[in-house]
Amino acid sequence: MYSKIGNRRPHSAAWRISLWATLAFTLGASLVFEALHRFMANDIRRRSDAWLSGEVQVLGDVAERTPKDRLYLRVVGEVADLASNEVPNRTGDEGAENDAVFFLQAERTGPAELWVGAGDGLANLEAIRARHALPGVPFHIDVKGFAVPFRVVAMQIDDGSYVYLGLSERDELRVLRNLRLRFLSMAVLIILFQFGLVFYVTRRMLGHVREMNEAASRIGESDLSQRVPVTKRNDEIGQLALTLNRMLDRIENSVRQLHTITDSLAHDLRSPLTAIRGKLEMSLSKKETSAVEPGWQPMVVSAIEELDRLTEFLNTSLDVAEARADALRLVRSEIDLDEMMRAMVDLYIPSMSERGLHMQLRSSDAVKVSADAGLLHRAVANLLDNELKHVPAGCTVTISLQAEGGYAKLTLEDDGPGFENEVSREIFMRRVKGKASTGHGLGLAFVEAVVHAHGGSVSAANRAEGGAQLTITLPLASAAQETAAAAGVAIPVA
Amino acid sequence: MHLLLVEDELEIQDFLKPSLTDAGYEVDVASDGESAQKFASMRVYDALIVDLGLPDQDGIDLILRLRRMGVSSPVLILSARRSVDDRVAGLELGGDDYLTKPFALAELLARLRNLLKRNAAASARPTVLRVGDLELDLLRRRASRGGDLLNLSPQEFGLLEYLCRHAGRVVTRSMLLAEVWGMRIQPDTNVVDVHIYRLRGKVDTEGRAPLIKTLRGVGYVLEDREQATA
Repeated sequence: MYSKIGNRRPHSAAWRISLWATLAFTLGASLVFEALHRFMANDIRRRSDAWLSGEVQVLGDVAERTPKDRLYLRVVGEVADLASNEVPNRTGDEGAENDAVFFLQAERTGPAELWVGAGDGLANLEAIRARHALPGVPFHIDVKGFAVPFRVVAMQIDDGSYVYLGLSERDELRVLRNLRLRFLSMAVLIILFQFGLVFYVTRRMLGHVREMNEAASRIGESDLSQRVPVTKRNDEIGQLALTLNRMLDRIENSVRQLHTITDSLAHDLRSPLTAIRGKLEMSLSKKETSAVEPGWQPMVVSAIEELDRLTEFLNTSLDVAEARADALRLVRSEIDLDEMMRAMVDLYIPSMSERGLHMQLRSSDAVKVSADAGLLHRAVANLLDNELKHVPAGCTVTISLQAEGGYAKLTLEDDGPGFENEVSREIFMRRVKGKASTGHGLGLAFVEAVVHAHGGSVSAANRAEGGAQLTITLPLASAAQETAAAAGVAIPVA
Repeated sequence: MHLLLVEDELEIQDFLKPSLTDAGYEVDVASDGESAQKFASMRVYDALIVDLGLPDQDGIDLILRLRRMGVSSPVLILSARRSVDDRVAGLELGGDDYLTKPFALAELLARLRNLLKRNAAASARPTVLRVGDLELDLLRRRASRGGDLLNLSPQEFGLLEYLCRHAGRVVTRSMLLAEVWGMRIQPDTNVVDVHIYRLRGKVDTEGRAPLIKTLRGVGYVLEDREQATA
């Protein structure tokens, strides 16, 4: 029951909304994470700096107090080793040297006096000396041969040499990397979930809107007694449905009032017309005419004919009035325009040739529309009557019919004098007629009214090569259903 | 033939009742739905003529109520509404017919006769129609007069067939348009007349008794006048 057109548009709106919501959510989450990350990094740094400062103090004390004898290197080396053991060696190898911590004692210049750590410590010393750092303030060095930078604190001891304690930032970086990885994978999951949720919810809401659209366009097309589906929830969409329905109540009411007025007008005029016509007809059938002067019969007949014209005028003007108010009652059925036009041409061809007119029908295939047969017949008969009355002898009337882009296109052309200029501008207005016309001037207004009521359009023009051209388009039977399903997404043609 | 006319307008009763009586029907007149139900419960009518705009109830409701009461006679609906609504269209399928006001008396009588004939046991449809020396072979779609084959188009044959089926009775232009061309239209040009004129040129050739007669303001009748007067 869902056509392609009907489904696509609301979905794209759901997509759009979900994408924007996801974008906003992602941005917000990133900002929060960024702040969190910064806080964590600072905290970890603060902790490692505190440890470094504490340890370097201890090592400095030990280095000061230990006498500078043969045991000095061993004692201070052991203490440094102990300190470095507080930091787990994460390389995984049990026997490997600890490369997370180093201890260094050196003068301002010259080689290192004491080195505890992985490697020979030359690169470390070089990097430290390049920094010219103040004692007691932790600083940051990149050491050749190590992928991860070190955090170092220096301290000057009594003998004027410096002790340095370095701690690899590997752990700190690993914690932060883990944090980022976990956040990222969770964020992807949460964002996916959020997108799905928003998409589902908006689609459901838009689904209600679409249902309302479909119903509203069905109502617009034919049945004013239908209503838009109402949801139980009291949200904006539920309110919209209620408002639409209230509006429809009012429209239906005024249309019904219009019907009542036109019906009673029609009824009040028609009943006396029927009585007059009947009585005139009765008088014609009476044989005893002695009391009346001869020659009365043709007068009665012409009175009857005048009455019929009056009736036709009444019918047409009420139809036009109703159609202009969008209140024409249509009894739709599927009609093959090709078949209908053939019957029409059959009907009109003898009269046309009697008037010296040629008539052609260019149509090959069945063109099906959903329309009110009676109204359509009358509209086309109106057009052909027009041709009969206004086109001079010797001309050709050409009717062509084709299906084009969801519409049936019926074109009526002649090579006569065409429309008078001032007429053609307002040709479809009520009661416009050419100077030479004898009709009631409602013909084309009626045609336009009927075609519009069916969701089609009419245009009239003078052809460049001379003559008049009238084009009618009507939605094809299958297209009409799709338009209803598209639910107001398609722009109404009216 | 007994008819029930349900119509509240006195003016219309005034001319319909005598006209129907003149046409050979017995007519009871009910002015509202209630008395119509009373009449219909008292006897069986051959046909009903019902105006839709009754003072006490809607004509369609009346018809549906009568149908529930077991009244199966055909109904000719008179409507002052221009367009016939769906419900009437639905009834039409059931073998009823409708006319919009104002109507031609001849048309009312013709439609009434059609209804009555349709309702009468559908007699075996003849395969040959004869009026005077005009003969229509409905199987071979051929028409001849006095043995001479007439050269008719399919359209003309259909027109002549309809006239023959209603031989001796008035046929209006709108009946022809509705039955032969299948259109309920009222052209303000003489399209039907031209068809009849052409048909007459082929059927009523010189030297033959004319069969197709025009009744001005009313319609046409096809009859063998010599036979009718004899």
